[in-house]
Amino acid sequence: MIVRYSLQRLLMLIPVSVSISIVIFLIVHMLPGDPIDNLIRVGSSPQDRAALAAKYGLDRSLVVQYFVWIGNIVSGDFGQAIVLRRPVADLIAQNLPYSLTLGALAFAFSSIVGMILGTIAAVAKRPAVEQVVKGFILFGSTVPGFWLALLMILLFSVTLGWFPVSGAKTWSALVLPVLTIGFGGIALVARVTRVALLDVGHEDFVTLLHAKGLSRATILFRHLLPHALVPVVTILALRIGWILGGAVTAEFVFGRPGLGSLLIRSLGQRDYPVVQGCLLMLALAVMLGTLIGDILQAAMDPRIREAST
Amino acid sequence: MKRPEPNMLYNLASTFMGVPSPKSYKAMGADYGVTTAIGTGPFKLDSFAIGLETVLSRNGDYAWASDLSVNQGAAKIAKITFREIPDQSTAFLELKTGGVDVLLGVPTDFLSILKKEANVATVTIPGTGINYMPINTTAEPFTDIKVRQSTALAVNQKAILDSVYNGVGQEAHHFLINSLPAGKVKSELEISYDPAKAKQLLDEAGWAMKDDGARAKGDQSLKVKLFTQNDTEFKRLAQVVQAQLKDIGMDAEITVFDSSTIRDEYKRNAHQLAVRGYDWNNADILDWFFSGNRLGYPNVSMWQDAKSEELNEKAMKASTNSAERIANFLEYHEYLLSQFLFVPIYQPTTNIAYNTGTVRVPKTIRVPRFRSQTVLDMEVVK
Repeated sequence: MIVRYSLQRLLMLIPVSVSISIVIFLIVHMLPGDPIDNLIRVGSSPQDRAALAAKYGLDRSLVVQYFVWIGNIVSGDFGQAIVLRRPVADLIAQNLPYSLTLGALAFAFSSIVGMILGTIAAVAKRPAVEQVVKGFILFGSTVPGFWLALLMILLFSVTLGWFPVSGAKTWSALVLPVLTIGFGGIALVARVTRVALLDVGHEDFVTLLHAKGLSRATILFRHLLPHALVPVVTILALRIGWILGGAVTAEFVFGRPGLGSLLIRSLGQRDYPVVQGCLLMLALAVMLGTLIGDILQAAMDPRIREAST
Repeated sequence: MKRPEPNMLYNLASTFMGVPSPKSYKAMGADYGVTTAIGTGPFKLDSFAIGLETVLSRNGDYAWASDLSVNQGAAKIAKITFREIPDQSTAFLELKTGGVDVLLGVPTDFLSILKKEANVATVTIPGTGINYMPINTTAEPFTDIKVRQSTALAVNQKAILDSVYNGVGQEAHHFLINSLPAGKVKSELEISYDPAKAKQLLDEAGWAMKDDGARAKGDQSLKVKLFTQNDTEFKRLAQVVQAQLKDIGMDAEITVFDSSTIRDEYKRNAHQLAVRGYDWNNADILDWFFSGNRLGYPNVSMWQDAKSEELNEKAMKASTNSAERIANFLEYHEYLLSQFLFVPIYQPTTNIAYNTGTVRVPKTIRVPRFRSQTVLDMEVVK
């Protein structure tokens, strides 16, 4: 049944992908400005400008441009960057490993620490512990990423000299960016975990488990957490897309390459093929995350599988 | 050639006119000059990754340096890694902690902080650009030359140099950089702060001062749009200009755009005033920004005028020698100044900072820009 459910969800992604590709294309082309302004040099004539526009197919109608682009995408060709003058696929391939490494580590860090803190906040008997964890969650939710990044650099790089200030060539250069972007994620995961555990804790079956004499640890790990994990998994799955593009601030402050930075740079230059390629990758990652989340939820909760049939 | 080309020598001397090796050009195809480079300079390209770094290694055979380098042989530095650090605070901390040895493009407001560092020295050389405020000559009330002149005389270049740039750089009173001969305009044509005359001109144009310090003509208030791009320096500059315009009774509302959107706004003729800058060290920049063929952008002043076109044509195409070229561009430059199409504000500097414990930089930079001629003379200390 889970295979059938997964196939259904997978097929639904096809019309969603087509719709998203149209939206991405239109949004990018409706933005004011165009890439030719970033290519022409002092002394260029209006004819030079027109020739450049024709060279990159920007003189064609939007409909024709869309079908050319999507046709190439289907055959695996993301096109040629207009300003950066390289294949978009190469640019994405060059930046993707940096985004994946940073995003995946930050994701793992924030998920593990967030679930631990959320659990502590939910089960702590001592109000002081609960207040400290809740305070941490509030701080993590509100602190600006760039400020935290600079603070980390000042403390760990300038004062203590433990990690490099910026760069992406060594593993030690990953520590501060992972901590910076993981911090905000911890707060979110901890909050959801805490609320989910408190909700499940009030169910009748938990009272029954206590009446049967099971230990608090057994009830927590064997019975409460599996139930409470359903909404946590949903949140985590939605954050898979964020792994690829959610680290722009950290990439900027720590001078790291990545898909987010490539997108922002290309957006500033209106390099349409690169912006479209990056946005499509991010959209696919979000869709993939949602799909994984749906499948995991269905695997964990039979009611979801039954509801879809 | 079918006509004299006054920019030919300038263009031939440009880096872009380096003669490519036909064999390499053919072999590398579309990658030539994009991901790979074959040249005759003092360094070879090892690797290039967008957003990360560019690595160059010494060309050991190099022995044809220009007279502008003391070192006439191969570079003293074996390997140079150029890193792209977008955040200026991070770049500063990298220099402070020894993560980088040389910092190019240091913002002026960082110079005073850097000078306090024991292991850091700074080099400041004249820049090759101007920050200025174009005035849209087709947008009311700037169709009136008296309002344009008043606006131009309301901007206090000295106050801006001191408050925004901590006194580093130079005031700008004309459109071309000081080092260009065509920038040596008659002193009476230079645009300088004169608030009394600015107010008088607005009075003459019919914009009367009200009790609240704002001006109006009939029911119409003197309110204008001031555009700038999303950049810390230009936003600060626009705020100071806004305050200075308020002193003469002009209410300027600032709108900030990203660099691509603002060009579209210029093309839509949606602007009245804008704070912006250019970087170019040749007088033909006048043609780029004021030719009637490029209205909107780059001709942000939307200037179209028969005499101006005639002077442009003469400067661009009719000069047959250097002296004629200078005289023709000077005449064109002076005419543009007389029409108050822009407000020149500031001439930036090029700032470099380096770690004195790791590299040695020549005391005298013998070229207008910090380029390979200087890098050839640099050496590693340890």
